[in-house]
Amino acid sequence: MTFLAFFLIVVSLLSFVVAQLVLKRAMEISRGTSLRNPQIIWLVTVGVVLMTISFFITLGLLQRFDLSYLYPFQGLSVIFITLTAAVVLKEKLSLRLIVGAVLISAGIVLVSMS
Amino acid sequence: MQHRPSGFGNPWLQLGLSVFCVFVSELLLKRGATDVAEPDSAFSWTGINGLESPLVWLAILLIIASFVSWLYVLRYVPLTLAYPLSRVVDVLVPLGCWIFLGERISTLRWCGIALVVVGLAVVAKPVAQMEERL
Repeated sequence: MTFLAFFLIVVSLLSFVVAQLVLKRAMEISRGTSLRNPQIIWLVTVGVVLMTISFFITLGLLQRFDLSYLYPFQGLSVIFITLTAAVVLKEKLSLRLIVGAVLISAGIVLVSMS
Repeated sequence: MQHRPSGFGNPWLQLGLSVFCVFVSELLLKRGATDVAEPDSAFSWTGINGLESPLVWLAILLIIASFVSWLYVLRYVPLTLAYPLSRVVDVLVPLGCWIFLGERISTLRWCGIALVVVGLAVVAKPVAQMEERL
C-alpha cells in the first residue's frame, strides 16, 4: 500500500468519526426543539459534508483494493467513536461497552489482516 | 431512552433497517466501482468517476435511506451503544463478499468475524435486559 492510500484511509476515517459526533449532537438538540432550528440544520449539514468527503475517498480506494480488505479500517471507528462520544458528548461509558467495542474493533482488524 | 416510540418508529427496528441498507449499498458500491475502474487515471483517486455506474447511484439512494434511519436512531439511543451495534454490518459485509462477490474468506478472517460477533453480544446484552424490563 502506498503512503497516499494510507493517508486517504486515515482522512476518510477521521471525517467519518467527526461526522457521527456532529450528527449525534444535532439529534440530541432536536429532542427539545423543532427540526428547523438553525443550529440543527447547520450541524446536520456539516455532518453530511464530512460523510460525503469520506464517501468519495472510499469510492476512489475501492477501485484499487478489495472491499473485504478496505472495509475493516472503518472498524477502528468503533473504538474512536465510543471513546470520543464519552469524552465529547459526555455519554455514560461502562466497562462492558469498552470491552465490547475493543472486541469488535479487534475482530474487524483481524479480518483486514487476513 | 425515555419516550421511545414503538412499531415502525422503534429505534431498534430503525437501526436494523439502517444496517441492512448499508450492507446492500457496500456490495453495490464494490460491484459498481469495479465495473468503471480506471486504475491508471489519477482523477479516479477522487472516486468521482464511480458515478458513471448505475449501481453506485442505487447504492447512494440506499445510503441516504440508511442515513435517515440512523439520524432517527441517534435521536433516541446513545452513540456509545448505537454505533458499536451498527457494526454488525462488519460481519454481514464479509459474508456478503463471500456469497455474492466470490471473494475468499481465510480461516483468520473467519476468526475475526467471530470476534466481532462476540463483541456485539457483549454490547447488546445490557440492551436486551433493559428491553425486558420495559
